[in-house]
Amino acid sequence: MISLDTLKKIASDGLEFIKTQKDISDAEIFISSLSHLLSRVNYTSSIPCNGVEEPKSTLSYGIGVQAVFKEGNKNKIGFGSQIGDISIDGIKSAVEKARLSAVEDPDFYGLPIPSKAISGGTILNSELSMVPPEIHGYHDQRLMDISDDKLVELGWRALEGALKTFKEHQMMESIIIGGDVSIVQERMAIVSTTGVVAWDEAANASASMTAMIESDNAKGSGWDIGMRLSDFAPENAGKSAAMSAIHSRQGRRVPSGRYKLILGPQAVADLLCHIILPSLTLSVVDASSSTFLKKHGEGVADRRLTIYDHGAMPDLPMSRRYTCEGLATGRTDLIKKGVLTGFLSNNYYRNKVLNDPSSKDKIGVEPAAIEDAFVPRNGFRPGESMLRNFMTKPSIAPTNVIVEGSEITPLDDLVKMIGDGIYIGRIWYTYPINGLLAGDFTCTVIGDSYIIEGGRMAAPLKPNSVRIADNIHNLLNQVIGMTGDRRPTLLWGASEVIYSPDIAVRDISLHSIG
Amino acid sequence: MIDIISNIKERIEGFFTAYARELPGCQYADLRVEANDTRWASAEDGKPKAAGRDEGGSFGIRVIAGGEKKAPGYYGRIFSLKDLSHIEELIRYGLAHAYARAMSNSRNKARVSSDLEEFGRTLTSTELSPVEIYQDTVPALYKTDPRTISPQEILRLSEEASKRIKNLSGIQFNDVTVYTQSLGELFVSTEGALIDQYFAYTQGNVYVVASGKEGQQELYEYVGDQRGWEAVSEGINVQGMNLLDFSMRVAKDALALADAKPFRSTEKEAVVVTDPYFNTLLSHEVIGHPTEADRILKYETAYAGRSWFFKNFSENFIGQHVASPLITTYSDPSLPGYGHYRYDHEGTKGKKVIHIDRGILKGFMNSRQTAALLGAEPNGSYMATDASLVPLIRMSTTVFAQGNTDPQKIIGDVSDGYYLWGMHTPSISESRENFTISAIKTYRIHRGELKELYRGGGISADSMSFFMSVDAVGNDFKIYPIANCGKGQPMQTKRLGNGGPTLRSRARVVGGG
Repeated sequence: MISLDTLKKIASDGLEFIKTQKDISDAEIFISSLSHLLSRVNYTSSIPCNGVEEPKSTLSYGIGVQAVFKEGNKNKIGFGSQIGDISIDGIKSAVEKARLSAVEDPDFYGLPIPSKAISGGTILNSELSMVPPEIHGYHDQRLMDISDDKLVELGWRALEGALKTFKEHQMMESIIIGGDVSIVQERMAIVSTTGVVAWDEAANASASMTAMIESDNAKGSGWDIGMRLSDFAPENAGKSAAMSAIHSRQGRRVPSGRYKLILGPQAVADLLCHIILPSLTLSVVDASSSTFLKKHGEGVADRRLTIYDHGAMPDLPMSRRYTCEGLATGRTDLIKKGVLTGFLSNNYYRNKVLNDPSSKDKIGVEPAAIEDAFVPRNGFRPGESMLRNFMTKPSIAPTNVIVEGSEITPLDDLVKMIGDGIYIGRIWYTYPINGLLAGDFTCTVIGDSYIIEGGRMAAPLKPNSVRIADNIHNLLNQVIGMTGDRRPTLLWGASEVIYSPDIAVRDISLHSIG
Repeated sequence: MIDIISNIKERIEGFFTAYARELPGCQYADLRVEANDTRWASAEDGKPKAAGRDEGGSFGIRVIAGGEKKAPGYYGRIFSLKDLSHIEELIRYGLAHAYARAMSNSRNKARVSSDLEEFGRTLTSTELSPVEIYQDTVPALYKTDPRTISPQEILRLSEEASKRIKNLSGIQFNDVTVYTQSLGELFVSTEGALIDQYFAYTQGNVYVVASGKEGQQELYEYVGDQRGWEAVSEGINVQGMNLLDFSMRVAKDALALADAKPFRSTEKEAVVVTDPYFNTLLSHEVIGHPTEADRILKYETAYAGRSWFFKNFSENFIGQHVASPLITTYSDPSLPGYGHYRYDHEGTKGKKVIHIDRGILKGFMNSRQTAALLGAEPNGSYMATDASLVPLIRMSTTVFAQGNTDPQKIIGDVSDGYYLWGMHTPSISESRENFTISAIKTYRIHRGELKELYRGGGISADSMSFFMSVDAVGNDFKIYPIANCGKGQPMQTKRLGNGGPTLRSRARVVGGG
């Protein structure tokens, strides 16, 4: 990892260089250093294996420059990146690539201008804040400096957590344990001619484990997330996965039909990640492909349901002080008490939507009247489970996504309310089967799930025996109730972490398969 | 940037193998180096959006080392042209980390084997199946070198395609993105392998939202090939269309679908005819993925899933009928397209692997490690998306083999049924034993003729039941590119090929939720 001081110095030197370039009117320099360390676990009790299959890491660092080039009376915007060379030469190379590839994009209205840099005049994004939120302690130095031995040890601890649990329950045959311990380290600095000067560093650790007793078709999952190495206990993820597998042995099937369901945190998170959050992203709305087109200000979900993104909540893994546009992170209400109130946004799409006459037809109201609904707090550069990829311009990415209810029902009471139905603990392959716009989705229930009969969890549901096929609008509007304890879920391939309670819904279509 | 591969290969080989052999307990080490040069551009609603050129390098190292129970360790990173002067230093640093991880992994494996004796019997020493060692150079296939195409030229094509789409009545939004890429790869191992391979890829992506009598319809498709710029400028690809023609075809299909009624699910199974473009996704999800040996051996249980073909060594379908005798499937890296290569990422020569031979399950794609566990011959299916990432078992080009029936006759013989054209979206069970796959277009077949067009249709079936029910296989074999297959942790998005001919079988035909 490159030191933060180096990133800041080269960014600052680069800005001085850019100011000498006569054809550049504005520019932004983004520099990051990223490392992803991972111990991938694979254990099988009946097939020879390595236990920890892949203790590994990837390191990348580089520069991304966005620059506005003057060409006569035209302004062109260009982006160039330089991989692996954080120096003034790297800056020059990135600037040259930006120059050669600049385009006259009529929807580009300027780089972010933070409020403290404003000196008069009316500026569209006048309330953009560079004042960072008060969050501290999310870059534990011990996680930043983790050794090879420790990386390997964490993977084995996750595995041993599961193995010891199976041993305690005398389950020794047909065992599969998989998953990983993942440590993300990132540093970034950003400066611009429009007044952005920001830097940030973060590290977090997570464990995501799956355990199976394959002969019983029993599958369980477990997670653990740590902001500090001392708090991180990957063995808990292994233990939870094994316990869940033990509890879900000899699952039963259910016939096709419409059911009352309780969706556990992972199931809610998967639906959010693949169906709901993309449709709450301003670029998707702008492309007319959101399932919430023309719905701002309208009820789109049960009135008890609130969903927001919060990139500055203390002690959450995806909290950062600044976005990759150098603006302050914060809370964006997306659905508040059932009403569509906001969109995930970056500076580019905020300005585009504000200036595009067709935006009203896409959002449902005049955008200028609801500027607070799309403050650019999510201008990140996602890539490979991280948010600070220097090789791309800022796009829009969620951070910590929180789902909460205004009326809380304990899980036992929720199960009683359901009477007969199914608790869905883990789904996968969740896709908008006919495109996001239509809102149709399908997914398969693959574990951690139970049949509810007579107001109690009566038996495990056989994994891979049912597929959910319905429409997201039905699901959001047919809420029966929800619990109060929000639990985090890390999804494969996603950078955001989603905190959700259990949510009960009615009349959802299930198809028996397999 | 690509030229550095041929320039450094001798120098890197000598240094790397000598240093790795000095490490105590190091049984094996390999190094993969990659350099790429990518040029791209995008346009939206006829307006230029972005253009650019990315170039960079990366390398990845694997070490197998340790005491009684040897274990693997890995390291990956990027590098720049400037780093070439001290690339040995970077590689030495990476090798030291990969070695340290392998040694630590081996110690932990021995400790846990001893502490948890009952579970320790399967924690065995890491072994690689032996392979023939090659030293070879494989050139890229292109007519127009991607490195001769400027981002501004790509932008002009994207913008023109986007403008033409925008001019069609009923189009709400469109986005056209094009890239062309050169790639160089080097593989070096302590066993003496020294292979440099070069590739060219070019692809155009088209996204359209159209409005019609039945509402709005979005459609995303791409066209491309393992070729130079000619893949999109001259239409040298499976679709046989240049980007401008392809974009218009996608846009017109979106408009037609916006006027089409949504499909309503059938209660019972119906006769379904699926075209080669639809069968591309079918062969990918239900044949290709479950014949990857890492899924067979449960490595992917926590991520991409297991395989319906193989529960364990005593319960599996090897040697049994899993499909109609009309069905043969295979993977073959010698076929043209995105899945073409000569050597995989551990230096094994890619071989054709028969998965299903006239209905009977035969074999799986593998790596050297999984081949050793399965007692199979390595077939060269171990590939990474980038050299800094650890390879996975991947499809090359996985297809249904060509049959001998005219596709018109396959449709013509159907009294009542459905014709599904084009791949849209999959929803698959964990072991791929069941699937729902939606089509771009669904037509009703009545008395041997295509009738009404529907949108939002797809088929849902148990995999084995569907394949056993196939009663006609077309003579219209095609290979399509798959641009974005996700697998691994962290997820690697890979290009590969899939396809086959027209098939006829039985399935439930499903519509929207």
